[in-house]
Amino acid sequence: MQQNVKIKEQYLEKNLAVFAGLLRQEGLPVGTTEMIDALRALTVIDISSRDTFKAALQATLVKNKKDQPLFSRLFDHYFVPLDEHRKRNEEVLLQEEQLSRQLEQAAADLKFKGELLQLSNEELKQYSNLPPEKRNSIQDFVQQTENGNRVEPQFKPILENVVKSHLRYCRSQEKIENSAAGTASGAGTGNISGESDLLREVDIETIAASELPAAEELLKKLSRKMAVQILRRRRSGPRSGKLDLRRSLRDNMQYGGLIFNLKYKPKHRSREQILLLCDVSASMKNYSTFVIHFLYNLHEVVRDLSCFSFSDTLEDLTDVLKGRNSLQFLLDRVIRHSKTWGGGTDLGAALRSLEEVHTDRLNSKTTVIIVSDTKTMALDDALKALVKIKEKIKRVIWLNPLAADRWPDYRSVGLIAEQVEMWPCSNIGQLEEALSGRL
Amino acid sequence: MLIKMTISLADLKSGFKKTGYICDDSTALTVYLALELQKPILIEGAPGVGKTEMGKVLADILDSELIRLQCYEGLDETKALYEWNYQRQLLRIQMNRALEKDQICEDDLFSDHYLLERPLLKAIRSSKRAVLLIDEVDKCDPEFEAFLFEVLSDFQVSIPELGTIPAKEIPVVVLTSNNERELSDGLKRRCLYLYLDFPEVEKEVQIIKARISGVADRLAWETARVVAHLRKQADLRKKPSIAETLDWARALVSLNCSCLDGKMVASTLNLLLKTRSDQQLFNRDIGIQGVDRVLGQAANGGDTCECSKM
Repeated sequence: MQQNVKIKEQYLEKNLAVFAGLLRQEGLPVGTTEMIDALRALTVIDISSRDTFKAALQATLVKNKKDQPLFSRLFDHYFVPLDEHRKRNEEVLLQEEQLSRQLEQAAADLKFKGELLQLSNEELKQYSNLPPEKRNSIQDFVQQTENGNRVEPQFKPILENVVKSHLRYCRSQEKIENSAAGTASGAGTGNISGESDLLREVDIETIAASELPAAEELLKKLSRKMAVQILRRRRSGPRSGKLDLRRSLRDNMQYGGLIFNLKYKPKHRSREQILLLCDVSASMKNYSTFVIHFLYNLHEVVRDLSCFSFSDTLEDLTDVLKGRNSLQFLLDRVIRHSKTWGGGTDLGAALRSLEEVHTDRLNSKTTVIIVSDTKTMALDDALKALVKIKEKIKRVIWLNPLAADRWPDYRSVGLIAEQVEMWPCSNIGQLEEALSGRL
Repeated sequence: MLIKMTISLADLKSGFKKTGYICDDSTALTVYLALELQKPILIEGAPGVGKTEMGKVLADILDSELIRLQCYEGLDETKALYEWNYQRQLLRIQMNRALEKDQICEDDLFSDHYLLERPLLKAIRSSKRAVLLIDEVDKCDPEFEAFLFEVLSDFQVSIPELGTIPAKEIPVVVLTSNNERELSDGLKRRCLYLYLDFPEVEKEVQIIKARISGVADRLAWETARVVAHLRKQADLRKKPSIAETLDWARALVSLNCSCLDGKMVASTLNLLLKTRSDQQLFNRDIGIQGVDRVLGQAANGGDTCECSKM
């Protein structure tokens, strides 16, 4: 009997440890302290009640409101009744078998001169999930290449690369379509606050026009939060400066020279300047606009903010964008009225022009924020200009909308990241993370 | 040996009910766990959802003293923990010199007599378990937040001149935050977490009835429904809190209202919406007709309210 009880206890602990691992895997910071608290909590509640069990785990393991929906989802997925568990296991086995058959079929479809193309399981899976017409088009392409004139076996890696990039293209198309479908199905739910929180993780490029009000609300919320942080850091506490001996002596003359009340010097505060440089090439339009909107929401605390758009030349947007404009207005303004819109990106030329024309704005108090995917003409020139400008100012923060896992594919990213601090900003959550504590 | 005062979950729930604090089961359970595990509880939520009230109610239920530390920018340990009464120490030295008494010993000057006890020290030294309410912890500086770690995890404080003082009775610690800034992981790790949201209509009706005597059933429902509708407006700068709902309901009762209509809501709006832009938004987007629609009162007939005509 004793043995049975022990096994049951270990079973619960083990299960909880696996569940904590699952939470960690999804990014929830569950540490040993939380685990110990959870186990202690389970000893004082009625664990036969599912709701009580869930509430106890939530109170001890989740320390953030935004993580609660994720916790709830994972809990419901992990702690299931035994019958449901068995059923799911069977389903998983069935799916695995099906997947393995799909992969075999996909590999058999994509052969070059009798040899299998070197594609990852992920790519094969994606291929087999494509609609038949797209699959046929890839197959046709492989066969035509195979049957072409003077086709050497060495062509295989080239063919593999072509197939891979085609699959990548299909993936990005699918992402955009899914986002549009998501928007359509989500319309009219009325819960703007919930929607806007979900937008935090969505790629800015794929945010549809109908979602802009919700995105705007989220940007406002985040910028309000950041404004509080900035103000708090700037305000000095009553004793944050050094002791002011002169004032202390003078003020305490009335006590016969005994220093009753100590006086402190106010903390010195330097006035910081922020200079925003936004790439407005076609792929960058949305990202740049979101960053501009985000920073302009901070206008009450970041008063000294200059904004420029650039492609091959530089355009000063500071005066145009002052005032509380909507996100939609900014998007229109950046596209329709910008002189720089549609030009090829030349960062070097833009930086040189900034240095020549706006030299007064570049000093030791200036932080330059550049929003760009680093795809620029004359990269070496741009690097030289960047190094030169970096010497004059406090710091450069580079916000890169390319997903971080794609950075190694671009030489320009590596070279620029050596010179400046670079942060991914493909969604609003990343934008907040990149700027939090740095302004 | 510290004695743990226990309270059962059922007693806690009935305590909440008796004091008029309406909450759901998971809230009661989280508070119960905090008491059982002797851990601080961090309560987050929008302003006016009852975070501070939780501390007060707990003190009431546990029949303990409520010790409150209101956080603000620049709060430091001299205001939160202790301070030596510098002026008194100086006076003592001066008096000794004037009276030509024997030289005083340094230990005399750093004794309890010259110690100004602040909320944290008071809670730690209290011989009866106290409820320590650390209100709006997100408003204090990160340095002070780090300073709280020792109190929250070990329930002890260190005073260089006196050494480490452990708690006589582990206090019930309630921290509240409006989530104006992200609190550190260290602080969160030391606490159990509870998020309080605005209540559903049914729950708010219960709150109104529990807190305001003489409120008509229909008025309570209509008040809660209008407030819930206002909270749904995404562009509202400040959503009405529970405290404001109660103030509004009290005002309506004192105006002898037993039900609501658009006119009455519009004329008492300044009790609910306290910025000009929010009031303009109400007039533009909702208006008297909008409120009537929410209340399900068709303009042409039906069970309409006569209160506003009085």
